[in-house]
Amino acid sequence: MKIIDCSKIQEKAYIEKLDNGLKVIIVPKKETNKKYIIWGTNFGSNDNRFIYPETNEEVIVPDGVAHFLEHKMFEQPDGSNSLDTLMALGLEANAYTTNDHTAYLFESSDDESFYKGLDEFMDYVQSPYYTDQNVEKEKGIIGQEIMMYDDDPGFQLYLDTLKGLYEKHPMRIDVAGSIETITGIHPDILYKCYNTFYNPANMVLVASGNFEPEMFLEEIKKRLKNTKKIENVTRIFEEEPEHIYQDYIEKTMSVSMPIFMIGIKDKVVAPEERVKRHMAIEVILGLLIGKSSSLFKELYEKQYIFGETDFEYEFSKNYAHVLISGQSNNPQIVQNMLKTEVQKLKNEGINHDDFARIKRKIYGDFVTEFNEVSSISRMFLADSIKDINSFDYVEKYDEITEDYTTKVLNEVFNDDKMVLSVVKGN
Amino acid sequence: MNYQKNIIKNGVTVHKIDTSKFKTNLFAIFITTPLNRATVTKNALVSAVLRRGTNTFPSQELISKELEEMYGASFDCGVDKNDDNQVLKFYIESINDDFLPEKYNLNEKSLKLLVDIVTNPLVENGGFKKEYVEQEKYTLKQIIDGKIDNKARYALDRCIEEMYKNEPYGLYKYGYSEDLENINEVDLYKHYLDLISTCKIDVFISGSNMSNLNENEILAEFNERIANYTTITNKYLINEIKDPKEVIEKMDVTQGKLMIGMDALKVSEEQRAAASVYSVILGGGANSKLFQNVREKASLAYTAGASYIKAKNNVIIRCGIEIKNYEKALSLIKDQLKQIENGEFSEDDINSAKQLILASYKNISETQDGEINYYYAQELADKFSSIEENMKEISAVTKEQIIDIANKIQLNTVYFLTGLE
Repeated sequence: MKIIDCSKIQEKAYIEKLDNGLKVIIVPKKETNKKYIIWGTNFGSNDNRFIYPETNEEVIVPDGVAHFLEHKMFEQPDGSNSLDTLMALGLEANAYTTNDHTAYLFESSDDESFYKGLDEFMDYVQSPYYTDQNVEKEKGIIGQEIMMYDDDPGFQLYLDTLKGLYEKHPMRIDVAGSIETITGIHPDILYKCYNTFYNPANMVLVASGNFEPEMFLEEIKKRLKNTKKIENVTRIFEEEPEHIYQDYIEKTMSVSMPIFMIGIKDKVVAPEERVKRHMAIEVILGLLIGKSSSLFKELYEKQYIFGETDFEYEFSKNYAHVLISGQSNNPQIVQNMLKTEVQKLKNEGINHDDFARIKRKIYGDFVTEFNEVSSISRMFLADSIKDINSFDYVEKYDEITEDYTTKVLNEVFNDDKMVLSVVKGN
Repeated sequence: MNYQKNIIKNGVTVHKIDTSKFKTNLFAIFITTPLNRATVTKNALVSAVLRRGTNTFPSQELISKELEEMYGASFDCGVDKNDDNQVLKFYIESINDDFLPEKYNLNEKSLKLLVDIVTNPLVENGGFKKEYVEQEKYTLKQIIDGKIDNKARYALDRCIEEMYKNEPYGLYKYGYSEDLENINEVDLYKHYLDLISTCKIDVFISGSNMSNLNENEILAEFNERIANYTTITNKYLINEIKDPKEVIEKMDVTQGKLMIGMDALKVSEEQRAAASVYSVILGGGANSKLFQNVREKASLAYTAGASYIKAKNNVIIRCGIEIKNYEKALSLIKDQLKQIENGEFSEDDINSAKQLILASYKNISETQDGEINYYYAQELADKFSSIEENMKEISAVTKEQIIDIANKIQLNTVYFLTGLE
């Protein structure tokens, strides 16, 4: 296996691309009793239009298919449910679907049950079983899940921000779809998606915990079925304009105080640029509106915001945006003050001391991710789907200079790329 | 064992956990005081005001700058309730020096800053800084009014409130909006002085490379204290039969939240392991009666589960259901309760429930906060039992014991959060 050594934080990743195309990443942690494994496919809610390799025809799927398929993967021909089987072994098992990937996972602190679990785990991900009856039954459960999110102000706020940022891109769509769109899902469409995206070459398996990497790789190989390798899946995206779609979106729900999210649309950059850009944007956000910033102090003391603000840079292979969120009785003022602060930072330039301090914080935040095997595994999976290597956050740390950060500030933080989404109380 | 505790002063206990599983070291101070209606809001406000500034770092901005300087050490504080105690929790997590690009002695800086925040608040004119108190009153009011934002959490809190009307445990841990108006910075500071000298204080230090940390010197900041508070634990709480009540509350929601609060009557300390297993069979995971029957078979819910509140001997069922299915779900849930009473569950059900509980015990030492909270619970329980002892008790639970518990379970409150129409 190829070893990537990140000596600064004393961690190593063992990486292997198997003959069938599956990428395996193992990050051993000798100090823990835990074993954590996550298997992801580069198939999320964004992948709703693609060429079906069997027939070369274009397929357009209803919203919510990737998530629906995730739910149905647990169903087995003998009537059993793999999630139940894993949990009966005392294993923490779960699955989730995002915009760009679907992941299945479990963990254990007990070796014997881990390997029993591994048999079941690797078997069910490789064995689709969809029938009219089991697909129909799931519509009720997912319908309840969608309704739960309908009542979740934070989720609606996020979705509205994306709807403001993107005009054509499927980021606009709820990962779970809607009650209407899931009605149209049937076994045939699930099999088409499975056969296209659940092939090893489109998947990444990450394990972290108490593992001997080489030995564990053999355990994985033993459990792989023969699957036809599909080199490249062709996905079809309509061209997304550079500009935003709507600069203000408002919704009324039962919340005690309005919540807001400011989105800033960014362009997609080359894979080798992504980590650096991410870190520079984190530094800028820390400088602009982080807890030690003068803007945060003013917003808090004038009671324009309540509690903390959250900010992050979300990106993958075909989208990128900045998100800033919080609670405020006057989101418009918050946005205006942010715009002024951006202009000030551009005009006056970055302060050396502030820059050095925020950079240290970013280093610490990254190292903290390595506290838990679950966060390590999820990070390596998500980063791998984005075509980046997680250790680059340490290796490229020194390349984040004031000049580079200033360049990113000027490129990304522009008023005309900004969306404000608000959820107000009734 | 990797755990040591020392009483260093009257009412101040230091707990040290030696662990090399993490990149970070975690420092925590827990302040324990009785839950009561007269002080619940003030205590919550104290915790919010303390983080605003100390005599060393007089503003939040300066504290934040110091934390950023410390490689992004993170400070956190919160309010909890544990049995009839209100607990104010303060944390600083910082990177272990081994993983820093330079030697920085973050251990000492972290513990010092944490102690500074708790014991050395910024004082002006005989009170807390007025501005901070006014701003935090506003913030706390938003937190209290914001209860309704998380519907599932709100429904659970409301159910517990109904179950414990006019009792300490029914209080909302952040207190009440109407109390805030009458609090000023001088009274609050007096209240703080009283609180800090009478409360129980637990200091937790978790991590590795701690040999050069002289915690006793740093903790000398805690003054000699009266510390007359001995924590409230209802050691053999025997719940009494109450007439079950039904509470229906309307709000603008699409999905209904059904909570069923139940008392485990006359369950002794020794039977608590069986009660844990009971609640997992009922609603602990994907194999539970509730998940299988309410969610999987009847498609009535997305969330369906139950949890056991040990300190109070309560089992609480929680479901998110379609509003029109209220009666249907309720009767289906009651069927599940009946089935367990009648012994209609298999050895497999018992084993998988036990496995789930054992796995969660094994995972305690896999997070620093989990481990700290485990030892804190032991501290309150006044009887130390190790993780291994707890696991043994779970393993020994028999089917008869579970049926016995099932027959002691009594409905207390059915709470339903429903839509406006």
